[in-house]
Amino acid sequence: MTFSSLVRQLKKIAGRDAVLERTEDLMLYEYDAGVHTGLPRAVVFPESTAQVSEIMRLATASGFPIVPRGAGTGLSGGSIAREGAIVLAFARMNKILEIDAENQRAVVQPGVVNLDLSAAAKRYGLYFAPDPSSQKACTIGGNVAENSGGPHTLAYGVTVNHVTGLEVVLPDGRIVNFGGKTSDLGGYDLTGFFVGSEGTLGIATKVTVRLMRLPEAVATLLTIFNTIEDAANTVVAITQEGVTPAALELMDGWVLRMVEAATHAGYPVDAGAVLLIEVEGLREEVEEQAEAIGQVCRKQKAREVRRARDERERKLLWSGRKNAAGAVGRFSPKYYTQDGVIPRTRVPQALSQIEAMAKKYSLTIGNIMHAGDGNLHPIICFDPRDPDHKRRAMQASDEIIAYCVSVGGSITGEHGVGMEKNELMSLGFNDNDLDVMRRLHDTMNPRAILNPQKLFPSAHGCREAAASPELTEKIVGYTEAGHTETAGHPEIAGNPKTAGHSKPADHSGKAGA
Amino acid sequence: MNTTLETGSRARELAAICGAGHVEEDPALEAFAIDGVAPAIAVSPASAEEVAQVVAFAAAQNLTVVPAGGFTAMASGGTPERIDILLRTTRLSAVAHHDPGDLTIGVGAGCTLAALDATLAPNGQFLPLDAPHPDHATVGGTLAAAMHGPLKHGYGGARDYCVGVQFVTGDGKLAKAGGRVVKNVAGYDLMKLMIGSYGSLGVIVGANFKVFPRPGGRNQTRTFVLEFSSLSGAIHFRNFVRGSHLTPLCLELVSPRAQEYLTNEAPVPRNPDDYAPSLPGGAPLARWRILLRACGSETVLKRYRKEMGINLSTELSGDEETRIWQHVSNFETAVLERHRNAMFARMNVSPAAVEAAVGAAEQAGLDNNLLVAAVGRVGIGALVLAFIPLSVDPPSAMQYANAISALRSALPLDSAVVVSRCPQQAKLHFNVWGSSPTDLECMRAVKRALDPKGIFNRGRFLV
Repeated sequence: MTFSSLVRQLKKIAGRDAVLERTEDLMLYEYDAGVHTGLPRAVVFPESTAQVSEIMRLATASGFPIVPRGAGTGLSGGSIAREGAIVLAFARMNKILEIDAENQRAVVQPGVVNLDLSAAAKRYGLYFAPDPSSQKACTIGGNVAENSGGPHTLAYGVTVNHVTGLEVVLPDGRIVNFGGKTSDLGGYDLTGFFVGSEGTLGIATKVTVRLMRLPEAVATLLTIFNTIEDAANTVVAITQEGVTPAALELMDGWVLRMVEAATHAGYPVDAGAVLLIEVEGLREEVEEQAEAIGQVCRKQKAREVRRARDERERKLLWSGRKNAAGAVGRFSPKYYTQDGVIPRTRVPQALSQIEAMAKKYSLTIGNIMHAGDGNLHPIICFDPRDPDHKRRAMQASDEIIAYCVSVGGSITGEHGVGMEKNELMSLGFNDNDLDVMRRLHDTMNPRAILNPQKLFPSAHGCREAAASPELTEKIVGYTEAGHTETAGHPEIAGNPKTAGHSKPADHSGKAGA
Repeated sequence: MNTTLETGSRARELAAICGAGHVEEDPALEAFAIDGVAPAIAVSPASAEEVAQVVAFAAAQNLTVVPAGGFTAMASGGTPERIDILLRTTRLSAVAHHDPGDLTIGVGAGCTLAALDATLAPNGQFLPLDAPHPDHATVGGTLAAAMHGPLKHGYGGARDYCVGVQFVTGDGKLAKAGGRVVKNVAGYDLMKLMIGSYGSLGVIVGANFKVFPRPGGRNQTRTFVLEFSSLSGAIHFRNFVRGSHLTPLCLELVSPRAQEYLTNEAPVPRNPDDYAPSLPGGAPLARWRILLRACGSETVLKRYRKEMGINLSTELSGDEETRIWQHVSNFETAVLERHRNAMFARMNVSPAAVEAAVGAAEQAGLDNNLLVAAVGRVGIGALVLAFIPLSVDPPSAMQYANAISALRSALPLDSAVVVSRCPQQAKLHFNVWGSSPTDLECMRAVKRALDPKGIFNRGRFLV
């Protein structure tokens, strides 16, 4: 089948206005919020499960690979088309199909925006717990694919802990169901297996999620430290105290100054580091826990423990945190946000390692982290026009990941493997582990029609190459200079740089009109 | 058919892997029979590598393997086709790593829940995996059978806190997924596949967990007992709790008939006519109960008392509290001691469907000469049902099957009734697993990928 006849068929399935093929349109879909790019050959906006199924049948028959995409806020290239794939964008499948307040469940289409679901559930006193920093834009389908986290996953778990059922379109076009509104429905937990499979097994077209009750009371503490070591030690002490905050975030002094300049949230610009700590629950419990945490912080040399006085102040602090990576954009033309995980007791050691690497490679590295669960997000700044600078940045990044794995951690805590870290998978997994995962991949996506060349190291991708000789394995390099001005970041809300980033959503809206 | 000669030579080969002292042969194995099918050989490897070698040997010889832990859930599943090798994980009991500061632990599959708890307790930590028979139930078996207890209400199940797993596939490959840290999205989440796979995909050889601060100490626990004259009264209260901001650790429903099994006292001799089917349900033996377990400071507990108001009948603490939860955990055994032909089912329904489902179970039982006692996690709709045969007019094997079929057909979609134990003859008449909304063809494909020759638990699982 020629590409132009494929496009004709796609238009027949989804509608003439639901297929983009001009380069200037496609360029809006060539990046995500990370550092990789890849130009799709076409973008299609299906409207229904039936259309997705037809498109997948067509793709399987014609051998053209498909890459599903939500809002493109991912950081590991999961939604980027490698080597001329067709992007399936879910902007038109954005309906909340049901909110079942009695059972605390919602059934949604994959294109529903994370925060929109919580907003819709609010009138029942419920919300959807996973809260990635990009939650104003990112979609539930993308959350399912990447098993997204966020600050509050410390207490409530990541996306997989909040999904009980799925409707999935398999690469051959078959529409299947996994699980339902109830957990433990017998048979294998394919729902749990599917969440976090990064679009390599199938496409979720309907998601049944658990909704949680909004807490009665929330206390948000900003604890200020003169040194980052004191803050890091406090993280360890809080964990050992046996109090589980809903969120426990760390930002170093450098990031603080960026954040404060961008958002004026009231962060102390002279501090070495701060911890942003949130406790939630019964009013009585929240008071006690806030008190207990305050005591631990003071014992650990906190300079000051502030408590947000009202909802406005609380929101301001969080908007500072959630836009932290974006605020760095004011300082550095480009940065790379890493996503390693370490055991929580290693927080102080990890931070000094990162500092040593910044020195070794003469780099500026800012630190934000989901400290409570040991999920590091070092922000490595570099100038993409300076090849040596970029090389040093990537070397430092690789060394940070190697350090995480060496202390028993992981290469990714919430951003996913995608095309960013597929070659790093062998750091944590041996041939047997990868072979078992590969076999499971092949049960559902045997010809790698869906999201090819992701997640698995290329040494494990030979079957794909054999299946589609057109696809030659090519690791797309980190963003080239020419693309940096369009590259946005999901954590930048209200930053001018998001303009480029929100275009795809606008555009797809037009396409649907 | 195995001949004694074949068995002998296989046993020798297995002894070469695990040592002669760790291979047993028929007829000493009657005690390990499952539904009357005794294993030909039982083998206890000492390490994950030995497990891999045993399985590779079995696969090469086309021998069927049944993985076994503490034998606490072995009555689950269909009658095995045959058991060439019973693979016991008992010796894989070591604690691989315990990192108290990180609140994580990794243990071998053969570690019992009690041993795991004993390792965590000195650091004021625990794993909220409160499946029955902690002294015998192993970590591997508990995960494989997705067993849980009352704490599932407050902490979720194993799928929520198992962060890594090691297993051996049907072709003898030792593999792992997940890791040691509490947050990790690298690679496919095979913990989810292994949990609830009943040993049909792989032999779990080890698992890592995120652990929790142990309730108690400064945050004391209390169990509030609430009594209701009807099931709908109890459900009404349950709805109130779910709609409130209270976050109890456990919220357990105990049906009137279940209460006589939650006590140390010897059973009171009864007039057999109590069980006469002419009196459907008979006079209520007792009231419906909800056991609500909360944890917190005195101020927090005061809030609970205030919210529960007049429904609150008793408050248990200390030994009394420990005892009541032990009884809940021991419910199935207590029933079984008195009615060896009782049938047990694990029913999962949406919270909104619990009331109708329990009613449907009681009716399905009565129609088939069985009386139903129910205990379970009423907040999340996960209940254990005991179907107790009428002593005066015991049900036929067919009636066990009919009761389950009637119950299943009365439930809404998104419900499941899995029979965890029933008389062997009854298994001939129905599928203990029932149907699953999860696509069967995908499940079969997953099974083929991990156990290509189908050597694990042949005949016992859904696929």
